[in-house]
Amino acid sequence: MAGYRVEDDYDYLFKVVLIGDSGVGKSNLLSRFTKNEFNLESKSTIGVEFATRTLAVEGKVIKAQIWDTAGQERYRAITSAYYRGAVGALLVYDVTRRATFENVDRWLKELKNHTEPNIVVMLVGNKSDLRHLLAVPTEDGKSYAEQESLCFMETSALEATNVEDAFAEVLTQIYRITSKKQVEAGEDGNGSVPKGEKIEVKNDVSALKKLGCCSN
Amino acid sequence: MMMFGRLRLTTTMVAIRSLAVVFFLLIIGGRWIVFADGSSGGGAAGRNGYSGGLWSSAVAPSNVGLAVAVTVMAGLAVAFTVVYSRRGGIGSPWSLRRRKHALQPEQWNAFFDEQGRLSDGGVKFLKKVRSGGVDPSIRPEVWPFLLGVYDLNSTEEERESIRQQKQKEYENLRRQCREIHKRNENGCDSKQTAQSSNTEDSQVLDSHDNAEVNSSKKSIQVEESENLNSILQDGDCEESGVTSEDAANDSDSTNSEGTETSPLLAKEGAENHDTVSSDSTKSEETETSPLLVRDEAESQDTVNSEETETSPLVAKEEAESQEKDTLTPSSKPKSQAEEEFTTTWQRIIRLDAVRANDEWVLYSPSQASVSDKKARGIATQVGLNDYEHLEPCRIFHAARLVGILEAYAVYDPEIGYCQGMSDLLSPLIAVIEDDALAFWCFVGFMSKARHNFRLDEVGIRRQLSMVSKIIKHKDIRLYRHLENLEAEDCFFVYRMVVVLFRRELTFEQTLCLWEVMWADQAAIRTGIAKATWGRIRLRAPPTEDLLLYAIAASVLQRRKTIIEEYSGMDEIMKECNSMAGRLDVWKLLDDAHDLVVNLHDKI
Repeated sequence: MAGYRVEDDYDYLFKVVLIGDSGVGKSNLLSRFTKNEFNLESKSTIGVEFATRTLAVEGKVIKAQIWDTAGQERYRAITSAYYRGAVGALLVYDVTRRATFENVDRWLKELKNHTEPNIVVMLVGNKSDLRHLLAVPTEDGKSYAEQESLCFMETSALEATNVEDAFAEVLTQIYRITSKKQVEAGEDGNGSVPKGEKIEVKNDVSALKKLGCCSN
Repeated sequence: MMMFGRLRLTTTMVAIRSLAVVFFLLIIGGRWIVFADGSSGGGAAGRNGYSGGLWSSAVAPSNVGLAVAVTVMAGLAVAFTVVYSRRGGIGSPWSLRRRKHALQPEQWNAFFDEQGRLSDGGVKFLKKVRSGGVDPSIRPEVWPFLLGVYDLNSTEEERESIRQQKQKEYENLRRQCREIHKRNENGCDSKQTAQSSNTEDSQVLDSHDNAEVNSSKKSIQVEESENLNSILQDGDCEESGVTSEDAANDSDSTNSEGTETSPLLAKEGAENHDTVSSDSTKSEETETSPLLVRDEAESQDTVNSEETETSPLVAKEEAESQEKDTLTPSSKPKSQAEEEFTTTWQRIIRLDAVRANDEWVLYSPSQASVSDKKARGIATQVGLNDYEHLEPCRIFHAARLVGILEAYAVYDPEIGYCQGMSDLLSPLIAVIEDDALAFWCFVGFMSKARHNFRLDEVGIRRQLSMVSKIIKHKDIRLYRHLENLEAEDCFFVYRMVVVLFRRELTFEQTLCLWEVMWADQAAIRTGIAKATWGRIRLRAPPTEDLLLYAIAASVLQRRKTIIEEYSGMDEIMKECNSMAGRLDVWKLLDDAHDLVVNLHDKI
């Protein structure tokens, strides 16, 4: 599940959106994941930006196209246009700011309004390095995620903790759902862009059994 | 051009007469020499792709007969003038060949008469700026004219009184900000005991960027209250809400009125004239950049009669409409605006302020070398304290951003604060060291730019559709390609539109582009564009939308790549977002000019 690959050599392209309040660290999660960079002074995102990274998931090459959106509510109408075609989402809050966690509900509603019902969503509590300022206990995040059937993880873009895992988990889930659906419904991978090979059924079935949070 | 020779032989006297017309027109067009080359059999047509096409299509029917020949000649005459007025004789003020130097200090000083008035009402001044920008050394003096803080016809004396008046108004706005802090703080006290985590959320200062570094920091709440206390002590305001800074003029302002007296109300000057601008009424109040004093009598009046915060900005501008005064205050109830101020704007302003970068440092040595003590002092005054990871000049810069952006949010509560606005303000405060003056320049800048930040997104959508139209008219093939990709809405230039190329251009490039754009807007605002510039108007009509033409030009510059290589809107967006550092601002303006000349009357 690692490694940076040549851009155009992939089996699947998955679009994933990063959403959440301003200043929770969305852009840094993105740059940590796609460039292994972190910038304390990264500017506010105006509108939408995106970056890609290609990685291997269960023997397939997945190109993840990750869309980073502006957090301020003012920009929501315009950014919502970019939900189109998203098959995954990381809904980010800041573990040191309770309000950002309380807004998660609104973000989730917004997401559901604009995307396919089977979109894979992970709740991400970022800035876990700031333990002394913790305002949202891990348990709170976890129980909310359970209640809403979301994946959950706490991350630190600054320390590169769990960032890779969070994205990889989401992409894996997407892949499994997509390939399962493809098996059931022929070649129509809804929302994803399969390119090249067919899915190997046996791997996916066994994989689904091991599967964690997202599939309840 | 060979064809032209043939054509001439087949014509009669009538045709020759019309040929004379051609000559005449060409002389007018300033291209006599080129024409002579052409008629003697040279290949001059090849110099210009447009004329080549015109020749070949025009010549075919010319052998048919006399009448046709005559018609063709007349047509050619027109074609020639059109072609040359586009590309040659009347060229872009920004083309390489014509590029002028930036406005120099000596030239600038020479524009003024003994009373300190721009001698020709600013015509030469604006012309100069729009063709070459402004030398960095005089930007602080020049920008207030470009941005409408000072009227182009004002005298030195008038400007001085305007300056003083604006200073007071700004101080009043700052006082209102502090009062809101204070009320919020009082309100928070009770909540704090009840639920500490919640209080933290409503705190003003909780940018974590800083906290990430400074792990030993005290709790946010503690710092916050200390800050507010120190502010309050500073300002001896308590009941009346009058701080020491503005006590002299504010006897009429009470706590309860504090926010209502936002200058949005105050702008109802005695002399607001009401040339109504064509925009929708709702947006009116902004177009109206308040700030121009037209003539002595008026400005004197204002200054004398309206010393206090309610002194209007002596607006006399075209856009200045009375509706504004009645509309704005009701557009967002005070309580709602104040709630947004405390729950959202204050926090995001600070968040963005501490992450403003330092690319301006080279351009402002005095601010770059500010002392640590001074920087921290100012940060305390505006209640900024998440800055431990920053060096003094950036603390200073961040604190100034906070002060001015908060004042703006109070001044224009319909917009308040929206991310991206700090991008627009940052260069202004780098250039203009006085907060009040920088604020009013920002107000002038925002009078147009604020539409980018409206909640209903009307402004941004209008602009995106304008870019789309420009592309459609200029390059239908590219447009069809965009349609196929479902990208004809041009959302991929969204960021360029919102922050006016700030993210794509370097600091210096941005300032050049903005100056040219401001000069265009000033020419329109002051009526110079209509009245004086006859020929200039023909060849490079000032436009409110220069930026949009420039944005369209930046896309058109990449048309080949977009058409041939990109098969998704995402790829185009990536291309646009990665233009940073790869743009030549004068080339961009030159191309934009070309689009303006060809399309402004169609769009």
